[in-house]
Amino acid sequence: MTSLLKVSNLVKKFGGLTATHDVSFTVEKGDSLALIGPNGAGKTTIFSQIMGEVRQTSGTIHLAGQDIGAMPTATRIRHGISRTYQVPRPFSDMTVLENIRVGLMPDSLTQMVFGRIDHDREEALALSVGLAPQDLLKSPSELSMGDLRKLELARTMATNPSVMLLDEVFAGLTVGEIAQISELIQSMRREGMTFLIVSHDLKALEPLVDRAIAINQGQKVAEGSFKEVMDNEAVVASYLGG
Amino acid sequence: MNIRWYHLALWAAFIIGMIYLPQLVSKGTLRTIIFANYLAIFAISWDVLSGRTGYVSFGHPFLIGLGAYTTAILTKRFGVPVEISIPAAVLVTMVGGSLLFLPALRVRGSYFALVTLAFMELMYQLVQVIRPDLTGGTRGMSGIQTLTRGAVNGYYLSFGLMASLGFAMWLLMKTRLGTALSAIGMNEEAVRGSGLNTTKLKLAAFMLSAFVAGLGGAFYVHYLGSIAPRALFDINFVFTIIVAAILGGASTIIGPIFGAFFLTFLLEYLRPYLPGAERYFIYGGIALLLYMYEPKGLHHVLQMALSAIKGKSRS
Repeated sequence: MTSLLKVSNLVKKFGGLTATHDVSFTVEKGDSLALIGPNGAGKTTIFSQIMGEVRQTSGTIHLAGQDIGAMPTATRIRHGISRTYQVPRPFSDMTVLENIRVGLMPDSLTQMVFGRIDHDREEALALSVGLAPQDLLKSPSELSMGDLRKLELARTMATNPSVMLLDEVFAGLTVGEIAQISELIQSMRREGMTFLIVSHDLKALEPLVDRAIAINQGQKVAEGSFKEVMDNEAVVASYLGG
Repeated sequence: MNIRWYHLALWAAFIIGMIYLPQLVSKGTLRTIIFANYLAIFAISWDVLSGRTGYVSFGHPFLIGLGAYTTAILTKRFGVPVEISIPAAVLVTMVGGSLLFLPALRVRGSYFALVTLAFMELMYQLVQVIRPDLTGGTRGMSGIQTLTRGAVNGYYLSFGLMASLGFAMWLLMKTRLGTALSAIGMNEEAVRGSGLNTTKLKLAAFMLSAFVAGLGGAFYVHYLGSIAPRALFDINFVFTIIVAAILGGASTIIGPIFGAFFLTFLLEYLRPYLPGAERYFIYGGIALLLYMYEPKGLHHVLQMALSAIKGKSRS
């Protein structure tokens, strides 16, 4: 069986700096993989390469057996992979529902102009990530950080992905908000969503993933169950700055 | 689509009012309104592109000029009838719009503004040098066929054109296409991150903008009967278009129409006191006031006033 997401021998060089050094991993359907490592290890760069925002120097990226490594970002998303960002990026002058509307849009000018807007779907998505009904017509500036993360998740879900890449979903959240988002991700997992998750909050990350890989200075240093990776000497050393 | 009955009622009231207008005002005022109509068309064109996507064009006279020169040269030099020359002018402008689009793939922000300004300047230089026998060189062209006689007919033609273009663009921008273009203005990366091809969307915006500018430019030159390149490819003209659009309220279509009328009459009434460069102070002053107090323009002020009245009548 082909893996849902397969990254092979990924290399990214920025001038003299090797940001990603021969990284390979796979994510099976319904699986959830944690990508951990200290600041500057190159986790977000890997995300950006998978999404095509940064083009890899060499290596391949396959989604459900298809090579997506040379496609533009929007095409990759149409193929069923999407991501959230460390800093949520809502459309500031739009309501919550309009933000989700952009995620739901078909990539066809005629359909944009003549097609019907699916208001029910917009609302259902917003409510499914736990946004309150009274927040739907608010602008993003009126939302808390937790609600902004939910909006970002809803907009990402709107593109109907089969794999979601979550980048620091817990950053800037209160304890209560972390619990909410964590519950949300777990319920999405129960429904069969596949995840690749980056987080510094290892405690919050643990219940969300089956496996983990650790990255340090652009290289994969460990792979296995979350516990195995956390106990790995090289990983401990990298977090302690060794 | 988010259209309510009162939107259409307002459009209808506006159009009916404008149809009766020539009976109420003098010929001189009518000529001012004709200019306002064309300025409104250019402001609508600017709004569809720059008001929405945030790609601020300082070179709209490039597009307007393409439309105006194409039809002027075709009719005057080659005796082509306007039924053919005007569509040809629009087509040429849309091709020109795609040309203007190319830098937008690479640069944005103030660099894009500079590149478009360069396009305008380039065209100003070119019409003087390349085939002045066709373009009329520095002196421009006169004796171009006019489509209407008298201020009243000129008014109806310009108003009909402005109202139909305005209404069409307003409808179009009410669809998800308008939402997507606004989204580009707010965060282009996130639009791409929603799986949308932003290049295609931006190209659509440029084409629409060029369509409106080309049509407006072509009809304007057939109203004036002449082209003066120095007045057309002038930074002053650029400012007039941009200030009209943002004064009224960018990315609303209605706003730029308001803005064009407001600005035209403001400048007309102040004309005795403003012999020359002082109008720059007006532009600067308006821009500063808008920036400080009402970045969303007159359109927003009116909306607030309307909802305040509604709120009062309810309580």
